[in-house]
Amino acid sequence: MSRMTIETGTLPPKPPPPSSAAAPLLSFDAVEKDYSNEGERVRALDGVSLDIGSGEFVALVGRSGCGKSTLLHLAGALDFPTAGHVRLAGTATDTLNEAGLTRLRREMVGFVFQSFQLLNTLSVVENVEVPLLLAGETHPRPHAMERLAEVGLAELAHRMTHQLSGGQMQRVAIARALVHGPRVLLADEPTGNLDTATGNAILQLLRRMCDEHGVTVLMATHSAEAAALANRVVRMRDGRVVEAG
Amino acid sequence: MGGLVLLYRLMLRPLVRRPGRALVILFAVALGDAAVVAIDLAGDAAAGSFHSSIETLAGKNDFEVTAAGGVPEELAARLARLPYPLTVSPRIESHATVAATGETVPLIGVDMIAEANAADPSTLAGAASNEGFRHLNGPDALWVTPGLANRAGEKLDLLINDRRLEFTVRGFVPEAARVSGDAVVMDIAAAQMATGEAGRVDRILIRTPDGGIRTSGGADFETWQKRLREALPAGVMVNAQGSETFANRRMLAAFRWNLRILSYIALVVGAFLIYNAVSVSVVRRRAEIGVMRALGASRGAVLTAFLLEAGAFGALGSAAALPLGRLLAVGAVKMLSTTVNALYVSSRPGVMTMTAESVALAFAVGIGVALVSALAPAREASLVPPTEAMARGRREFEVRVQRGRDAVIALALAGLGAAAAQAPEIEGKPVMGYLSALLFVAAAALWMPMVVSAVMGAGAGTLRRMLGVEALLAARSLAGSLRRTAVLVGALATAVAMMTSVGIMVGSFRQTVLNWMESELPADLYLRPAGAASADQHPTIAPYVAGRIAKVPGVEHVSLFRAYEIEYQGLPATLAGADPDLQRSQQSVTFLSGRPANAILRQLSAGDNAIVSEPFANKHRVRAGDALTLPLGERRVTFRVLDVFYDYGHEAGFILLDRRTLLKYLPDAAPSNMAVYLAPGADLEQTRAAIRKAVPNSNLLLFSNGEIRREGIRVFDQTFAITYALEAISILVAIGGIIGALISIVMDRRREFGVLRFLGATGAQIRNLILVEAGLIGLLANMVGLALGYVLSLVLVYVINKQSFGWTIQFHWPVAVLVASLSVVYVATVLAGLYPARMAVRLDPIEVVHEE
Repeated sequence: MSRMTIETGTLPPKPPPPSSAAAPLLSFDAVEKDYSNEGERVRALDGVSLDIGSGEFVALVGRSGCGKSTLLHLAGALDFPTAGHVRLAGTATDTLNEAGLTRLRREMVGFVFQSFQLLNTLSVVENVEVPLLLAGETHPRPHAMERLAEVGLAELAHRMTHQLSGGQMQRVAIARALVHGPRVLLADEPTGNLDTATGNAILQLLRRMCDEHGVTVLMATHSAEAAALANRVVRMRDGRVVEAG
Repeated sequence: MGGLVLLYRLMLRPLVRRPGRALVILFAVALGDAAVVAIDLAGDAAAGSFHSSIETLAGKNDFEVTAAGGVPEELAARLARLPYPLTVSPRIESHATVAATGETVPLIGVDMIAEANAADPSTLAGAASNEGFRHLNGPDALWVTPGLANRAGEKLDLLINDRRLEFTVRGFVPEAARVSGDAVVMDIAAAQMATGEAGRVDRILIRTPDGGIRTSGGADFETWQKRLREALPAGVMVNAQGSETFANRRMLAAFRWNLRILSYIALVVGAFLIYNAVSVSVVRRRAEIGVMRALGASRGAVLTAFLLEAGAFGALGSAAALPLGRLLAVGAVKMLSTTVNALYVSSRPGVMTMTAESVALAFAVGIGVALVSALAPAREASLVPPTEAMARGRREFEVRVQRGRDAVIALALAGLGAAAAQAPEIEGKPVMGYLSALLFVAAAALWMPMVVSAVMGAGAGTLRRMLGVEALLAARSLAGSLRRTAVLVGALATAVAMMTSVGIMVGSFRQTVLNWMESELPADLYLRPAGAASADQHPTIAPYVAGRIAKVPGVEHVSLFRAYEIEYQGLPATLAGADPDLQRSQQSVTFLSGRPANAILRQLSAGDNAIVSEPFANKHRVRAGDALTLPLGERRVTFRVLDVFYDYGHEAGFILLDRRTLLKYLPDAAPSNMAVYLAPGADLEQTRAAIRKAVPNSNLLLFSNGEIRREGIRVFDQTFAITYALEAISILVAIGGIIGALISIVMDRRREFGVLRFLGATGAQIRNLILVEAGLIGLLANMVGLALGYVLSLVLVYVINKQSFGWTIQFHWPVAVLVASLSVVYVATVLAGLYPARMAVRLDPIEVVHEE
C-alpha cells in the first residue's frame, strides 16, 4: 500500500542530477567556525573545503566533537561561518541576512534529528504540515498525507506523537523533512536513538528518498552500517576533513 | 541541620540562579498583600477620624444624654440637682467652615468656666490664659487648635449654618487635650447663639462618682441609667458615653467589611499564580524529587520542603507588602474619607498608624495565601515515587488534569454557590453572599480545563486559517499544557470577573441613581447652607429666608425640608420633615409597593404617619403597616409606617414625616434645605441672582437642577473610585503573573522554538506565536471572566449589596465601560507577551535543540 503511494507520489519537480562537471549543490570553501566558550575561543571547523553534488548520499563520520554537527548547521543555513564560504545551490550563506538564511533554509533544506524533535502538542499529520504552513501554504494537508504515505504512516496521521514508537517518530520526522520538497536533507545521527533493526529500516528509507527524489542527503553518524549505505563517506577529525571520499 | 542545608541547596539556591519564578511569587504576594494592608490602614484612619471629631474635649464620662432635635438645656440643671455627686457637662457639637480656607472643623461649645477649672489635663484647663479668662463669656471668643491661628487676638471668620460670623481667637486648645486635626471651641452660650440652638444642647455628658462604673458590671451601670432616666422626659435617651460613636462605627462596619473583602481579590488572583509557579517547579524538578526519594527523603520531607519554600516566599512578599501597603494607603485614605463623608458621617483623615496588628495581619495573610496555594502541588511532589528518579515529568503535568471529574465537581460547587446566594445575612454581613461568590469562582476555575480544551480544540483550525500557523501552534500549545493554561486563564479570568462584576454593579447602581435623581429632583433650584456637606450634618437656614425667597419675582413656590440626625435601634438614621404643600415633589416619590405616591402622601399629611427609605426598612426590618416609636423632644411618639420609598442618598436611611407633623414635636422652623420652583418662563440665572440679592446676609449655596445632579454623580463616582483602584491592582497582579508565566513557558518550550527555527520559522513567526498565545490567554480570560463576572454581578447586586446596604439596584449593562475595560485587559495581556516573545526570538536554535 505504501509502496503504491510512493510510486504515485507527487513530490515537487526536481532538477535532473548534475553531471560531474556541474556546479555542486553544496560547497564548503575553506570554512572556519569559531565558538566562544566562557570567554575562550574554540575552533569547531578548521579550513573545511568540500563539494557535494545534487542527489548524493554522503555520510559524515568521526568522533564526538570532531565538527560533524557544526558542518550540518552551516550546510543547513542555520549559522554563518567565521571565515570561508558555504554555498547552497550557488548562494553563499554569508551574503545573506538572517531573513535570507531563513528563506533559504525553508526552501532548500530538511532536517532529521537524533531525538526526532516532533512537536508533541500536534498530531502526526500536523507535525508534517508545519514546514508548509511556515512557508505560508494554505492547504498543506494533501502534501502532508502523501509524504506520510511514503513513509508508511498514513493510517496513523491523526494520532498524537506520544502514541508512536521511536521508529515511527523518526519516519514522521523524515516525512516532515521532505514535505516541502527540499534539495538537501541533513540528518544528525538519525538512528542514534533507535534499536538496530529499526535504525536499519530508517536508513533504508533515507536511501530510498535519496534515490527516488534526487534529494541530497548529508548524514552525520557514528555507525559503520549507516556509513556503508552512503555513496560517499567524509571523515572528520578535530574540525578538519581528513578524507573526502 | 542537615535538612536545612539540603533545603538551602536544593530549594533556595536554585531560586537565585533562576529568579523568574521567585519574582512572580513575590510580586503576587507583595502586591496582593499590600492591597489588604492599605485598606486596613486607610479604613482605620478614615473611620477613626470622625470619632475624634465628635469626642473633641469630651474627656472621660460614663453617660451621654441625647435627644432628637437637641436636649433642652434646663435638663442639665435638673440632672445637676439630683441628690448624687454627678459631674454634668452640657455640650454643643456642631461644625463650622473656616471662610478663608474652606476647611470644615468641629465646633464644640462647653462650659468654659467649668472646663478651665477642671483638673483633667485633657480638657481646656490651661487653654485660657489670664488675658483669655477675661473673655471667657464673650460672644465672639474662640479657642482654636494651633493650625487655625498664630496668636491670640487674631480674627477668624467662620461659616455656621447659613451665616458668616467673625470671631476673635482668645486662646489655644492645649496639646494635652490631644485633639485630632483642627477644631474650634467656644463657651456654650456663645456656641448656642452662633448655631441657633438657643435653649438646647447637643449632648450632656455625665460622670458618676464611681469612675470605673462601665467595667464594674452591669448592675451598677443599669442602676445609674435607671436613676438618670427617671429624672428625664421619655423622649430623652441615656446611653453609655460613646454610643453615638459606636452606632456610627456599627454602621460603617458593613462598608468597611465589604471593602476589606474587595481588598482580598488581588490575593485570590495571586493565589492562582503562586499555585501555577509551584506546580511548574514541581513538574520541572520531578526527576530531582525522585532522586531525593531514592536517596532516602520521606514524603513528609518533600512536602515540608515545598511548603517551607512557599512560606519563605510568603514571608518575603509580606515584608515587601508593608511599605508598599503604607504607600497605597495614602491614596486610599483620601478616597475613603470622601465616601465616609458623603454617605456616613463627618470625617477627616486621621493619623495612619502601622500597628503590630497591621504587621501581623500582613504576615498572616501573605504566608497563609502562599501556603494554601502551594499545598496541592507540594502534595503532588510528595507523591512522586523514587522510580521516577530519571523520568521526565512533562507529560505527567499534562495528563494529571482530569477534565471530566473537575467539571462534575465544578457543577456541584456552582449548585452550592446558587444555594448560598439564597441564604440570609449573618449579623448584618453578607457572609453567605461572599461564600456564594467564592464558590462560583472555584467552580469556574475547575471548569477552566474543559473550557480551554473545548475552545482551543474547536478553534485551532479556524485560528490557523485566520492568523496562520503561529495561531495553530499557539492554540495547540495552550491545549497541550492544559493545567498550566487553565491556571493562567483562571487567574486572569478571576481578575476580569471581579472587574466585570464590580463594573456591572457600579454601572447598574449609577444608572439607578441617575434614574432616581431624574424623578426625585423636580425643582429648579436647591438651596443649602454654605460649608462642606456631610451625610450626618444638617446645618439650618434662618426661617425668614424662605419667606423672602418666595417673594422674589420668578419664584413660584418654595418647599422646605428639615433633617435631624437620630439614633434608632443602636444605628444612626435621619429623621426628616418634608413640606406637604408641594404636589410636584410628592408625585416624584417612588414606593416599593408600587402604590401611587399621591394616595400615600395624602395619608402622610393626615396624622402621625411616616414613610421610610429602603435602606432604613432593610436595616431595621420595617415594613408598611409597622409602628415606629421615636423619641422626639421630650416625648416618645409612635408613627405608623405607610410605605417604603426608594432612596439612594443616605445609607443610614430616612424616616420621612410631613413637615407639619415634625414641627408639632420639634418646633424649630429653620429648614436645612429648600427647593425652589420657578414660574413658567422665568430665567434661571436671573432668578438665582435675585434670590442672592434678596437674602444678602445668608450664606447659601444655590444649585440648579443640573448642577445638583452632576454633583450627585461626582460624589457617586468618587465613592466608587476605591473599588476601581482595587480592581486595577488585581489586574496588575494578573498581568504580572502572565508575564512571569509566559517567560516560564518560553523557557520550557525553547526546544520547540529551536526546532521551528530549523524548520524554517522566522524570528517574526516565533514572536507572533508567543503574542498569539498571550492574546489567546487574554481572549479566553475575557470570555470566561465576562461570563463569571455576570454571575458574580448578580450576587453583588441582588445579594451582597442588598444585605449590606439595603438598596435595590436595577440591573444595567454598562456596555461602554465593559468594552473599554475588557479591551484594556486584552491589550495589556498581549503586551505582556512582548518581553517573553523577545526572549523566544533571541534563543539560539542550535543550542536549544542540542541541549537535550
